[in-house]
Amino acid sequence: MASVLLIDDEIQIRRFLRAGFELHGYTVLEAENATLGLKAATLEKPDLILLDLNLPDLEGSEVLERVRSWSNVPIIVLSIQADEREKVRLLKMGADDYVVKPFGISELLARSEAAMRRHFRSSNRDPVVRTGPLSIDLVLRVVTVSGKRIQLTRKEYTLLHALASHAGLVLTHEQLMEEIWGTRAGNIQYLRILVRKLRQKVEADATRPKLIISESGVGYRLDADNPNPSPTHGRISPGAACLA
Amino acid sequence: MSRFQDRRRLDGLTAPWRGRGPDDDRGRSDTALIDTLAGHALPVAITLVGVVLATLFLVVINTFVEVDFVPLVYMLPVVLAATRWGMLPGVVAAVAGAAAADFFFYPPLYSFWLSNPQDAVHLALFLLVGIVTSNLAARLKSEANVLRGREKEIAELHAFSKVLATCVTAPDLIVAVQDYLSHTLGYRAFLIASADKGGDGDFALPKDVRDHAATLTADADGSAIFQSEAGGIWLLRVITPEILGYGAIAVNLAERRDADLDTIARSVGILLDEAIATLKQLKLKESIEHATIAYRAEALRDALIGDASHELRTPLASIIGQCSVLAQLPAIKNDFRSHGLVESIQGEAGRLDDQIRLLLDATRIKASGVRPQRVWSDPLDIVDAAIRQKQRALSAHSVNCNLEKNTPLVFVDPVLVEHALGQLLDNAAKYSPRGSTIVVHSRGDRDCVELCVTDQGNGLTTVEKRQLGKHCYRSDRHPAGTDGSGLGLWIARVFMLANGGTLSAESRGPNLGATISLRLPTVSDDTPQCLEAANG
Repeated sequence: MASVLLIDDEIQIRRFLRAGFELHGYTVLEAENATLGLKAATLEKPDLILLDLNLPDLEGSEVLERVRSWSNVPIIVLSIQADEREKVRLLKMGADDYVVKPFGISELLARSEAAMRRHFRSSNRDPVVRTGPLSIDLVLRVVTVSGKRIQLTRKEYTLLHALASHAGLVLTHEQLMEEIWGTRAGNIQYLRILVRKLRQKVEADATRPKLIISESGVGYRLDADNPNPSPTHGRISPGAACLA
Repeated sequence: MSRFQDRRRLDGLTAPWRGRGPDDDRGRSDTALIDTLAGHALPVAITLVGVVLATLFLVVINTFVEVDFVPLVYMLPVVLAATRWGMLPGVVAAVAGAAAADFFFYPPLYSFWLSNPQDAVHLALFLLVGIVTSNLAARLKSEANVLRGREKEIAELHAFSKVLATCVTAPDLIVAVQDYLSHTLGYRAFLIASADKGGDGDFALPKDVRDHAATLTADADGSAIFQSEAGGIWLLRVITPEILGYGAIAVNLAERRDADLDTIARSVGILLDEAIATLKQLKLKESIEHATIAYRAEALRDALIGDASHELRTPLASIIGQCSVLAQLPAIKNDFRSHGLVESIQGEAGRLDDQIRLLLDATRIKASGVRPQRVWSDPLDIVDAAIRQKQRALSAHSVNCNLEKNTPLVFVDPVLVEHALGQLLDNAAKYSPRGSTIVVHSRGDRDCVELCVTDQGNGLTTVEKRQLGKHCYRSDRHPAGTDGSGLGLWIARVFMLANGGTLSAESRGPNLGATISLRLPTVSDDTPQCLEAANG
């Protein structure tokens, strides 16, 4: 059973998060400030940390930095602020994802599952990522849409591979440009056009993307919770190793 | 260990790590003379070639006709050399011309003797006119150079004052001044505006240099040369309090100890005097004070808005979150009425949150304007994100997207445009009947991309069309009970203007629907290159 550590000073927020996560089979730990949160993260070794940015004793980003110095546990940042530069900064600092308040529990659960899938996949090495009609075999480098193999250029595949390796999580424009062109200071126009071309090959309607989702001012994410027309697809339970 | 040399005015500066005596002065003046002559060698050689060419020309002409305009032809290299290179080449051309004329064209030929006294007078006059012309041309050239220099200086000063005007914070100003000083002096310069390390935002300045500058500030005219432990020889100069409350300029003269530092220090000192005079004229002290006050005011405003945002939206986040959990509980999920009530609470809380966001956006715009972060963005991404953002408001309508696949990229802040388009969608949903269709379509050409939202709702009268997007404007025709503050389209319009775009409206009349369009600047010409690069 996966355990989640909630670090948030607002008791009402902790209350509904506890109820929501327990409803879906998680074990929930709570911390009302950064000090207790850091202590719990060290002693209890949770499978996921939900971290509020506004804590009374320490900045949430400082907590993120401290945890990241010794652990790669998935961390999702919760914030009332929706500033895109701050989101990019947090992702660069090692947050797996961020969710802006207010949010519904379904959205947070989906992000949490994606973050844990990513974490467990890196240790279990499951090679196939499936979302909706799209399937990506990261070892054989085979991409299929509705069971039909499609051809991608080298850069298109690198882009899809990066997104699939972080399925459900956002990757910043800089991270993607570094992955594809080897530099963070690349030209974002190239990335936009490459995403368009990839969408034309994997999306049913490239003008209304359902798989490769843009997060304005931040980056792109491969949607891991797309309704699946394929009979092989299904949502996983917490702690499972891959999307399939 | 760092060495501190005695304070001295720059005009008396000597390099402390090197001895200096009378022989050095003589040696230095000899070297200067050699340098001057070496600098003129090429112009003099070219001038002499010019005189030879003039001679050849006259010899050729002389074989056909008798020439009586010899001095006139030799005046040509004189004028050219003096105008181009100054006095010395001009005089050389005059002397060489007189000698050549005497040798080749005045009897007795091929000799420097003159048989006719009148010829001697001619040549003497030519020589005199040549020297005077050289002098005048050289002065003209020198004055033209001075004028060009001043023109360049004024242009640079104008550019610098424009840079200063765009600086918002004190650190921005300091960086701008440092760049100006570095550019003017030709050496990396630092403006120390605070005694604390990092107080002026510059961590690249060695601590011992900063400390040493602090010891100088007691003397308004203090200046010194200082060798830092961290490396480099530094020229320090205190700025008078009328220019900057506390301040000094540190110039990194050289990394190498064998550089001719006293000469460098003297020339940098002269330039520094001029630069300091410029800073005084530009009222640097006042600019930094204003920037600091503005920065503090903005920080305070941001803190207030942040507090309001946190205090108002956190309880809402809690209500929305709790409702989302309630809606998943089997007892609620399976009870149609209870589920409906929970969804209604969630929806209303969401609408309240939207209104708070609008008010916060409006407050920010009123307080500090909009500062877009413009990047090349895909309009299709913007449309998709805006529709997802307004999913709840659009749930009672059917949304049709008619977007061109090859819509050009646009150079905008995608977050602001997404918010603007979200407002258009929100309005379309609010003012059109449930179940009606809302169409989002794009039009693109070389100059712009238009994102349009068409609804089948209330439409617009001519007056409403004119007023649309004005602050807090609400039409009298709005059905009773339709909420709204008149801020949404105003914010959308402000966001569009900040991105170099526009917001416009079309309608065939009341109750005939409306089309609201966002016009965005495009990439056009670069797109094919991008496609090629992306494929590569």
